[in-house]
Amino acid sequence: MPADPFFAVAGLAKHFGGIHAVEDLSFTLARGEILGLIGPNGSGKTTTINIVTGALKPDAGSISVEGSDMAGQAAHLFARRGVARTFQVPRLFRRMTVMENLIVPALSDASERRPSAEERARGVLAFLKLEHLADDYARALSGGQQKLLELGRALMLKPSLLLLDEPFAGVHPKLLEQIIEHIRTLNRDGHTIVLVDHNLDAVQSIVSRVLVMARGRKIADGAVAEVLQNPEVVRAYTGSRAGAQ
Amino acid sequence: MGSLSFSRAVQAVLLAVALLLPLAAGPYWIHVGAIAWYYAMLAASWALLAGFAGQFSFAHVAFAALGGYASALGVGLLGLPVGVSMLLAIVLAIVTGALIGALVLRLSGPYLALFTLAISEIFRLILVAEEDLTRGMLGLPVPGLFSGQSDVPYYYLGLGLVVMAMLAMNWLLSTRVGLFLRAIREDEGAARASGIDTTRYKILVFVVTAVIAAIAGIYYGHFIGILTPNIAILPEMGLVIAMAVIGGIESLPGAVIGAVVVFLLSESLRAYGEWRFVLMGLALILVQRFAQNGLYPMIEQWSRARAKPRAAATVEDRHAG
Amino acid sequence: MSYFLLLAVNGLVVGLIYALVASGLTLVFSVLKVVNFGHGSLYMLGGYASYYLISGLGLPPLLGVVGAMVTLFVFGVVFERLVIAPMYTDKVERKDEYAIIVTFGLTILITNLALVVFGPFAKSPPSFMTGALIAGPLILPYDRLIAAVAAVVLLVGLSLFLKRTALGQALDAVSQSRESAAVIGIDPKRMYTVAFGLGSALAGGAGALIAPVFALSPSMGDLPAVQAFIIIVLGGMGSVGGSVAGGVLLGLVQALGVGYLPDPNRALAYTQAFGALLLVITLLVRPTGLFGRPHLRLE
Repeated sequence: MPADPFFAVAGLAKHFGGIHAVEDLSFTLARGEILGLIGPNGSGKTTTINIVTGALKPDAGSISVEGSDMAGQAAHLFARRGVARTFQVPRLFRRMTVMENLIVPALSDASERRPSAEERARGVLAFLKLEHLADDYARALSGGQQKLLELGRALMLKPSLLLLDEPFAGVHPKLLEQIIEHIRTLNRDGHTIVLVDHNLDAVQSIVSRVLVMARGRKIADGAVAEVLQNPEVVRAYTGSRAGAQ
Repeated sequence: MGSLSFSRAVQAVLLAVALLLPLAAGPYWIHVGAIAWYYAMLAASWALLAGFAGQFSFAHVAFAALGGYASALGVGLLGLPVGVSMLLAIVLAIVTGALIGALVLRLSGPYLALFTLAISEIFRLILVAEEDLTRGMLGLPVPGLFSGQSDVPYYYLGLGLVVMAMLAMNWLLSTRVGLFLRAIREDEGAARASGIDTTRYKILVFVVTAVIAAIAGIYYGHFIGILTPNIAILPEMGLVIAMAVIGGIESLPGAVIGAVVVFLLSESLRAYGEWRFVLMGLALILVQRFAQNGLYPMIEQWSRARAKPRAAATVEDRHAG
Repeated sequence: MSYFLLLAVNGLVVGLIYALVASGLTLVFSVLKVVNFGHGSLYMLGGYASYYLISGLGLPPLLGVVGAMVTLFVFGVVFERLVIAPMYTDKVERKDEYAIIVTFGLTILITNLALVVFGPFAKSPPSFMTGALIAGPLILPYDRLIAAVAAVVLLVGLSLFLKRTALGQALDAVSQSRESAAVIGIDPKRMYTVAFGLGSALAGGAGALIAPVFALSPSMGDLPAVQAFIIIVLGGMGSVGGSVAGGVLLGLVQALGVGYLPDPNRALAYTQAFGALLLVITLLVRPTGLFGRPHLRLE
C-alpha cells in the first residue's frame, strides 16, 4: 500500500434516526486500483457511495481525495474534483438529448467550451458504441443503453475515481459482456474504479480486491480468494444471498 | 432546424403585426394590447422559472406587485424621481428573488408550490392591511410616465420591454446556464453529481425571473395609474399559469403567444362574462391532459413534419426501434 | 368572558370544518402523493349540491349533506379517472407539475362555472334546526352545533374506516408503499380512485355542513382551501389527527384574532397571514410537519 494513498476514507459514519447505515468505515485506494464493494442488500453500500461523492454529509469521518479532506463538501465539488458516479437506477436528464446529457458535466468546468465538449462527447459515444443515438432523447433509450449513457456522463467529468453503483443490475446479458469490457478498458487506461454490487460472482472476474460490508460495517477487505474464505463473509452471505438472487 | 426557422418566421411576423397594430387599431385595442404585454412578460418569465428550471412557483405575480408598489411608493412616499424609484424597485426584486430562491432550495414539487403560494398570500395580505402605506383596497395612485391621453407610448414601451426580456432570456438559455437549468429540472441530484452548483443556478433563475416580473409590475403600475392588492390574487397567478401552459410552458415564444391570445380572447369575449374563464380552465386541463408541452410547440412540430416528412419519419423509426 | 367564550366556540366550529376539509386533502395526498389545488372548489360544490338537493328534491337538510357527499364522491371518481389517472403512466413526465396544473385548472373551471350557473349572489340553504343552545353565557345556534357534531362524527368515522376496514387498510397500505401494496394484491390504481373520491366527498360534506351557517357563494372555497393547505403542512401530510389539531388551532386563532385585535381590517388580514406564515416556517424548519408521520422525500 502506498504511503500517501490517492483516496482514503477513515472512520466514516452515517445514522438515519436510530439506524446506523454506515459505522466506522475506513479504506484506501491506490491510483489505478479497481475495488469491488459488495455486501447484502441494506448493508450500507449505496449510503457509502452517497457519502464519498458528497450527496450525503457524513456524521463523522474524513474523506481524503489526493491528500485534501473533502468530508462535508457539496456534491458538485466532489464531481469537479474528478469523483464521478453512476446510480443504481439510471438518473439521466430524461428530456434532454444524449449529447446534452454528456456535455452538461463537461461544461460544469467553466473553462471548457461547447465545441470541445461536444467533440469529447462524440469520443465517449464512440467508445460506448452509442454514436447513432446522439440526438435522441435520453428517455427513449433502452434500460441497458441508459446504463451506458450514465457511464458516459460520468466519464465526461474526466474522473480520477469512478464509482459505479450496480452497473450490471437489470442489464440484458448481451450488453453485460459489453459493460464488463468497458470497465476493464477504463481500468487499463488508468481509471481508479469502485464497483458496487450485492453479488460477488458478478464482480470477481473484474476486480482483484473486494471490500465486504454487512450492517453498515466493513467485515472484510482483501484479495477475492482470501475474502471468500472469511467465515464472517460466508455467514453474512449464506443468509441473504438466496434472498438477493 | 425546420422548427427553428419556422419559429423565427412566426416571431418575426408577429413582431411586425405588433409594431404596426397601433396604425390600424382604435384606442381600446391599443389599451388592451398594452396590458397584454404585461401578461406576456409574466407568462414568459414564469415559463423560464417553471418550465425550464422546474421551479413551480405561485409567487410570480407577487413579484410584479412588489415591483409596482415599490416604484409607486418610491415616488409617492420618498419623493424620488421616477427613474430612480424604478431602479430601486428592481434592486428590491433582485434581493427578494435571491432570498426566496435561497429559502426554497430544499423544496420541490407540491412543497415548493405551497411555500410560494403562502409567501404570495402573506405579501398580498400585508398590502391589504397596511392601508396607511398602500391605501389597501382603495388603490395606490401611481404617476404616469408620458404626458397626454394616448396609450400608444405605453404600448410601444411594453412591446419594447417584452422584446428585451425575450432577448435576455433567450440569450441566457442559449448559454450553458440554459442547459444546467434543464438538467436541474430533470434531476437535481444527478445535476450535482455532474458537477453543477445547483444552489447557484436555482437562486440565479429566481433572481432573473423576479426581475422580469418586477419590471412587468412597474410598467403596469405606471401605465394603469393605480395599483390594488388584487394584482397578486391567486386567480391572477392562475391566469399567468394558464397562459404559459396553454401556449407552451417550455417555450418562451409559446408563453408570450399564449399570453397575448388568451388575453385578447378574454377581452373580445367580454359579452360572455365568466364563461370565458370556464373555457380557460377547461383549456388548461385539456392542454395539460393531451398536449403537455402546450399548443405552440405542437404547431411547431406539425410544421416540421410537413416540411420534412421523410426526416421526421426516420426519427420516429429510430424511437420505435 | 362570555365574549371570549362565544369567539372560542365559533372558532372551534370553523376549525372543525377546516379539519374536515383538510382530512380530505390529506387523504388524497397520502395515497396519491398529489396536493389537490382544486380542493376548495369541491367544498364549494358540496355546499351548492346540498342546497339544490334540499330545495329541488325536497330532501331534509341533513340528508342533503349526505347527498352532497355522494355527488362529490362520484365527481371525484370521474375526475380522477379522466384527468388524474394518465399521470401514473409513462406518457406524463413532470408528474408533480401535471397534478398541480390540472387540479388548479379544476378550480378555475368550477369557480367560474359556479358564477355562471349559480350566480354571484349569496344563497342560503334552510337551517338544520332553528334556534340556539343557551347554556349560561354561551349562545350556540343549533346550525353551528350540528355542523360541529357532524364534522366530529365524520372525522371519527374516517379514522375508524382507515383503521378498521379492509378498504381503509388497503388505502393505508398504498399510502405507505405502492410497491409493497401491489405485492400483497392491492391494486394501487383503484385505491387512487377511491381516495380521490373520498377526499372530494369530505370536502363536499364540509361545504354542505357550513352552508346554513355562512351563505353559499362561488368563492366560498378560497379561504378554507388555503387553510387546508396550511393544516396539512402543519399536521404532517397524511395524518387525520394532525388535521384536527391544525384545523382547531387555525379556527381559534382566526376567531379570537378578528374578535380582539383593534383594527378590523388588519385583524382580518393578519389572522389569515398568520396561518400562511405558519406554513412557511413549518416547511423551512420541519418539513415533516408538527404532528404527522414523515413525508420528506429524500433524493
